[in-house]
Amino acid sequence: MALVRHALALCAAGSLLGLGANALTPRPAPLGHEVAAAADAPGAACQIQGLQAAIPRISVEEATPLCVACSALFVDARSSAEYEAGHITGALHLAPGEAVDPVLWRLGVYKTVVVYDRDPNCSVADQVAKKLLEHGVQDVRVLTGAWPAWTAARAPNAAGSCASCGPPATAAKGSP
Amino acid sequence: MSRSLARAGLVLASRLALAAIFLYAAATKVPDLAAFATDVANYRLVPAALVPWAAAAVVGIEIVVGLALLTGFYARAAALVAAGMLVVFIAGLSQALLRGIDLRCGCFGGDEPADWWTVVRDLFMLVPAGIVLALGRARRPAAEASSPSAGGAHLGRISTRY
Repeated sequence: MALVRHALALCAAGSLLGLGANALTPRPAPLGHEVAAAADAPGAACQIQGLQAAIPRISVEEATPLCVACSALFVDARSSAEYEAGHITGALHLAPGEAVDPVLWRLGVYKTVVVYDRDPNCSVADQVAKKLLEHGVQDVRVLTGAWPAWTAARAPNAAGSCASCGPPATAAKGSP
Repeated sequence: MSRSLARAGLVLASRLALAAIFLYAAATKVPDLAAFATDVANYRLVPAALVPWAAAAVVGIEIVVGLALLTGFYARAAALVAAGMLVVFIAGLSQALLRGIDLRCGCFGGDEPADWWTVVRDLFMLVPAGIVLALGRARRPAAEASSPSAGGAHLGRISTRY
């Protein structure tokens, strides 16, 4: 019992020491502020160093009819906050760090899967698309011009015209 | 006699090895605790508001555990904390890998990715912690050791300094 008591005392002393070290370090952890996972933090997703994979592209003009006809599933690779703020109607949210398996059943229903990113220079959509290809999804494309091009073209977004494709789903809501 | 010497040597080696690992791990994180907080967040185990506090606490506990193992004071208690931390690290890494979360390990600063080898490495680190816990002897208080009557009467009695 004394062993456990001493172990708890070491933990308490260590925690206090850690807070002291945090006050002295040049780059402290921001106490009192939330620190979200990189994939969930607005604007942080593109900081993930990645690849510009050789994934086929699809333009907004080509993708819009697929959305309206519900013949493609759109995958939003941006942060959760950005997805919540607005996304292509019916798009599935899948950040690069999230597991594909729970949503694989949903991806397999569509002939084409279109992944889009927060800005055209971001490689996160490529990372997600590569992951989908590795999981056996056949026709995966990355949207040219990303989210800004989609909104600039006034293509269907969360209030758009292809809501009949079904409600938006996040990666967490994976079970059929 | 030689058996007890070998045992003492094994415990000492385990203590010093574990101390070196924990102190090195803390030393690599202290200069950039903000980056370590981001690594902790990426495991998605701790609420976002608690992440910076958890990051600071982990590093502080690593320092205290490392110093305790190095000096031998409360070494068994330190080994218990080290083992507990390693179990939490192994669980955290495993759940992230099983969920397909792609992240930096955050173990020794830098950009080391988390993979199953990281889990195996942590499992190996449990061995010296277990040795110190199982075979480590607690120190007898100095007063007790120097008193012939007390020392004789309580030979082998375990002191409170674990």
